[in-house]
Amino acid sequence: MAKRIAVVVSQGQSAAPAKRQLEEDIVAALLMEPGIDVVVVPHLYDLKADGTGILALRGIMGNMIVLSWLYERGARWTLDRAGIRGKEGLTTIKAADDEDEEEENEDNEEQGVDDKERVNDSREIPNRKIYCLDLRVHSAAQPYIDEVKRIARENSMQLVSLGIGMELGGRPKTEQLARLAQPTNDTALPLHPHPSPLPKGEGAAALTRIDEELGRRWYPVIDYSRCTNCMECIDFCLFGVYGVDKVETILVEQPDNCRKGCPACSRVCPENAIIFPQHKTPTIAGASIVAESLKIDLSKLFGAPETGETAEQAAVRERDEQLVLAGREAVGASVGLPKRHEAKSAEPKDELDSLIDALDKF
Amino acid sequence: MSDDSDIQPLVFMMGNFAAEFPIDRQYAKNHMWAEARDGVWRFGFSAYAVRLLQDVYFLDWSVDAGTTLREKHEIGSIESKKAESSLYAPIAGRLVRFNEELLSDPSAINLDKYGAGWIFEIEGSGESLLSPQGYMEHLAGVWEVTQRTIKGQMNE
Repeated sequence: MAKRIAVVVSQGQSAAPAKRQLEEDIVAALLMEPGIDVVVVPHLYDLKADGTGILALRGIMGNMIVLSWLYERGARWTLDRAGIRGKEGLTTIKAADDEDEEEENEDNEEQGVDDKERVNDSREIPNRKIYCLDLRVHSAAQPYIDEVKRIARENSMQLVSLGIGMELGGRPKTEQLARLAQPTNDTALPLHPHPSPLPKGEGAAALTRIDEELGRRWYPVIDYSRCTNCMECIDFCLFGVYGVDKVETILVEQPDNCRKGCPACSRVCPENAIIFPQHKTPTIAGASIVAESLKIDLSKLFGAPETGETAEQAAVRERDEQLVLAGREAVGASVGLPKRHEAKSAEPKDELDSLIDALDKF
Repeated sequence: MSDDSDIQPLVFMMGNFAAEFPIDRQYAKNHMWAEARDGVWRFGFSAYAVRLLQDVYFLDWSVDAGTTLREKHEIGSIESKKAESSLYAPIAGRLVRFNEELLSDPSAINLDKYGAGWIFEIEGSGESLLSPQGYMEHLAGVWEVTQRTIKGQMNE
């Protein structure tokens, strides 16, 4: 009883031959694998809200592996913003020097979960897994191919365990099994999601390539596993990017109102939950750790100024710059920051500020 | 590049590499050339910058055309075979337009850096720009530091 899994390859914006080669090597190898359907789309983040790329991804009902040139979190929450949701699939693809830090992060997150309610705790999430793999971690295709195969195996084993009733606890009744096969709740997804164009039992993969004329986009995505719905972002942003849904949960309502290059709201988010996947600062782009670049940084050569700003000062400056560009009045720190200012007088900087400062200096 | 054989470009030796700089234009300290045309300055990377970058794979802008820039305003980023870097405004002024062709295919920066590989146009005062000779002196002053920067980062 093989279960098919969809593998989405999101192409990079860069014309770097090594990157294109990596994408194509992975696609070519996966086409030889049984039970895998491959979809190639242009850069995930740039896909238009109702373009063919997003529609194709929304059409994938079962488990999905997404390979993109984005941090795992950046990709996951970009998909979420596009209405493509699922439970987080865990991958073994990690930056090499990641592991110690990862443990620390998990500790921190666990502490956080204890005392704060996160938006994700109360959201309805479809019963399938999405695995996001960052194509920048390895330069060779093999680790990705191995990981996709591992996930595909994990995927088919889950099905077997479901089949013998493990997940139902003990011996399932006939009607329970029937309900498993034909779920009655609307969050469940079909067990056999991928009507394959191929005859049953045949393994070869289907390849779909989606071409979409894309401009470059710029907008935030919210990590709802961190977001506490505190509304600081909606108070701070003066361009109408944020809104709330029917149950008063914060959302990126008008992504294209966002001002190109401006990451100010992510700097004031107390939970570091706002991701700009294309920002050059790794923590803003969704890195859980700071991965070191292998390439030299020539920014100083091209005129990078020295800054000694705090994250909040940077946010206020960035917002003022955008207000002036839009022909509006600069507001400085007078709007959208009251809560933080009070906290500031007692504690000059929190950990996140120091971290971002350290990154900026770097 | 200019076909006028009687106008010899200036040459700066970057180790064994001879970087050439046409004398029909001005230069900015951040290694861009500037050509006055119809009231705007057209900018592109000088041979010095291109030699350090090598093949350019990707350009992205963090501002839109029409934006008013101060000098050293961060305007975008570049990825090449050898470097990843942010880019900054060479002069203050209004950014009139970007060379949009480079977004999908930046190879003109390497193939024709002084012509089709132009990067953007800015309307503003060119008084801080350097003459070709002035830029040569600037290069002589920064070449040591540039080499140290590259070696320093390579050793990290």
